[in-house]
Amino acid sequence: MIKSLPWVLLAAGAVGAPAFATQYLTAEQAQALMFPEATAFRRQDIALTTVQMQQVEKLAGVPARSVNWRAVAALKGDVPIGYMLLDDVIGKFELISFAVGLNSDASIRQVEILTYRESHGGEIRNPAWRKQFASKRAPGGLAIGEGIANISGATLSCTHVTDGVRRIAAIAQVVLAK
Amino acid sequence: MMRRAQPWLGTLVDITLGSQADPQAVTAAFADVALVHRLMSFHDVDSDVSRFNRAAVGMPIEVDPHTWNVLRLAEQVAASSHGCFNVACAPRLVEWGYLPAPAAPAPAYVPGERTYALEADGRVRKTSASWIDLGGIAKGYAVDLAIDTLQRHGVGSACVNAGGDLRVIGDYDWPITIRAPREPANAGTRLVLRNAALATSANYFAARGHTSPLVDGRNGQACTDAHSVTVRAPSCALADALTKVVMASGDAHHPCLAKLGASAFII
Repeated sequence: MIKSLPWVLLAAGAVGAPAFATQYLTAEQAQALMFPEATAFRRQDIALTTVQMQQVEKLAGVPARSVNWRAVAALKGDVPIGYMLLDDVIGKFELISFAVGLNSDASIRQVEILTYRESHGGEIRNPAWRKQFASKRAPGGLAIGEGIANISGATLSCTHVTDGVRRIAAIAQVVLAK
Repeated sequence: MMRRAQPWLGTLVDITLGSQADPQAVTAAFADVALVHRLMSFHDVDSDVSRFNRAAVGMPIEVDPHTWNVLRLAEQVAASSHGCFNVACAPRLVEWGYLPAPAAPAPAYVPGERTYALEADGRVRKTSASWIDLGGIAKGYAVDLAIDTLQRHGVGSACVNAGGDLRVIGDYDWPITIRAPREPANAGTRLVLRNAALATSANYFAARGHTSPLVDGRNGQACTDAHSVTVRAPSCALADALTKVVMASGDAHHPCLAKLGASAFII
């Protein structure tokens, strides 16, 4: 029920409304933003041992969740100056991809959201729906068009993102810290 | 067009520049949001809010000028809404599990209690044993600060959106979608906004049974209404705080809206 509408509205009604989606940055754009002083980037994925997974869980207070992690080393000349780790998290009905920039001592330098996408209802649990994110970091991945409008609504908590950032900070401390 | 988002203030903060790409301006604006997060977080033991909550009654407390500004605005909205808005509802939110319990035992919640007095020297004096939480106003203030910084960097057209509390600048009609309160994954309403702030409050993401993080400042009762409240105001801090007034009063024409240059609707 609409109790009071003092402004001119463009449209009302939710029939056929699209899911909200925005692509903010590609991984390449994020690494360039986080490490402007870097002269090169090198893919350096991480495979955790079971012992390392236990250490991560102890440090982060959340399950390590996965053995394999996508990571990029930022180099100045031949010297690593930091790392960027990538992850996706699922919320109530949203899937968020993000990148965490870390200094070489494993302290967090910067966190950037790469993509944000909401599903209609049950789609979030559907593997086919999730699969479309597999190539999201390819240039020209998700269309920006449908995400141009800003959304106002009750605040959506991003606890799962902050948990994800904490997990990555712990991985960096266990595997990458000098 | 340039768009970035970072997690701050318990939500995603999204900054869109309309016509130019100025990464330094956006980075500076995010630094402002991070500053508000650090100063006003209830969770962070080093924040101004936590130091206030731990302090003894009667103590004057040094706070950052930004925290002082937010407390002053909170006082103004509390006064003009006859207490519908009150930052002293934190003990209720801790009791209901919406805020983490600090180490100290929770003070008793006293409805309508005034908890602080602003000193002329920029300090804040604690006047009762209660806890404050600025979750109902700080996101809006962070948006205002980010917008000020973007303008200082010469950005003409921008939108800063902290989890639904947003403000736009520039000679441009920004399209805004308001979530449908009963189907929040869908658009309920669309509108355009120009040089103004907009905030929406509702329970659909947070309500648990008979509790909600939206509390009537007059009596400490949870506002469990299934509608959503949207307020337009000149500043986002004001829009943010006034959504709680409309939610508590159920009145989209509450007199304090017009007094503060705002308007509201309920869907």
